[in-house]
Amino acid sequence: MKKILSIFISLIVFLLIFLLQSNFFNWFTIGGIKPNLFIIFVLFLGLFGGRKLGVILGVLFGLILDFLSSYQIGITAIMLGVIGYLGGYFDKNFSKESRITIIIMVIGSTLICELGIYLINSFIIGSNIFILDFIKIITIEILYNVIITIILYPILQKLGYNLEEQFKQPKILTRYY
Amino acid sequence: MNKKKNGVIGIIITILLLIILVFLSNTDTQKLSYVESAVSSIVMPIQNGLTYLKNKLAGNDEFFTSVATLKEENDELKQKNSELEQSLRELEIIKSENATLKEYVNLTDKYKDYTTIPAYIINKNISNYNSLFVINVGEEDGIKENMTVIADKGLVGHVVSVSKNVSKVQTIIDTASNVSSTITTSRDSIVCSGMLKEKKLKAMYIPTDANLIIGDSIETSGMGGIYPKGIHIGNIEHIVNANNVTDRYAVISPAVDFEKVETVLVIKN
Repeated sequence: MKKILSIFISLIVFLLIFLLQSNFFNWFTIGGIKPNLFIIFVLFLGLFGGRKLGVILGVLFGLILDFLSSYQIGITAIMLGVIGYLGGYFDKNFSKESRITIIIMVIGSTLICELGIYLINSFIIGSNIFILDFIKIITIEILYNVIITIILYPILQKLGYNLEEQFKQPKILTRYY
Repeated sequence: MNKKKNGVIGIIITILLLIILVFLSNTDTQKLSYVESAVSSIVMPIQNGLTYLKNKLAGNDEFFTSVATLKEENDELKQKNSELEQSLRELEIIKSENATLKEYVNLTDKYKDYTTIPAYIINKNISNYNSLFVINVGEEDGIKENMTVIADKGLVGHVVSVSKNVSKVQTIIDTASNVSSTITTSRDSIVCSGMLKEKKLKAMYIPTDANLIIGDSIETSGMGGIYPKGIHIGNIEHIVNANNVTDRYAVISPAVDFEKVETVLVIKN
């Protein structure tokens, strides 16, 4: 029951982020460049809710985004799914306590997600590739994402541990017994 | 004898008084104003002070007695104020509506030859790498894929996907967009594609013998099957020369301000 409730809450958070992204961050920009809050959100879902939840919700949110504003259905879905999977992978191998690891994870996942979407889009639709401009934009976007993560980190961590309680069995460190 | 003298003196005094009276009443009073002013300068401050005191006292008195009436009046005025505010708001709404309608009329006047459907932009892109608009008309309003979208100043883009009530528009500044176009004066044909930054267009495949002049206007050529002929796109901002003539390109600033555009028209072919 609590699982369903937390999934429902994350859907509401997703809608909130969508509204923020399409209205507020259209003028609250750094040099005309918006952050991408969806990546941070899905990464945290994967980190705290586990691989399965990260992938499922990532694909779901990606599909909704594709339906709302994209040319081709599925590209954002795939990439956000990958980010959810990566979140689960990071969870197994890295500590979530340190801020620096979280920042590095955000940098990596933003880079992978945006690069993937951009490349797949340019292959499928045939958009012109501007490498220098892309590098400039993605640098600023990653910076913006990192700043937002640093600001929101305490809240995200608190919510994340709540999520973790519901979706994961308590860890038994058999190795040490 | 004594009485007689008294009577004569009385008569003289009376006559003198009469003369003075006549004299005073006939002279200009202004000649006496210095007397008046001297008197008033002594009296008036006191008078003023007294009047002030009196008024103050009377006013205080009134203040204590009329609180109730004032309150009543205040309530009445408040109600009136809110009513007025409401009507003002209504007026404001009507004003803005009028402006929008006027805009529509102007737009439709400019592109009379086409039958158009007016639309609002309800959502702009959420990503940094593409430029999509979502407009508030869809299949029910007769929108189909590949219909051209224009604004009052020029070309905006074309419809890429349609759902029941909304549709997505790919703008010409999107990196996936290529518009076949001509230079209005020299009729040289070029291709305008979107650039990732700065919301500008890049004009490519410029003929080697073409004369480009900064400020020349660019319009659609009608080739390619999506955009009708002769819709204004923008003006040449600057020309970038490469090592050889075939690689040169021009940067075009679009006529439509894609940051601020709110209403568009969809052309029904």
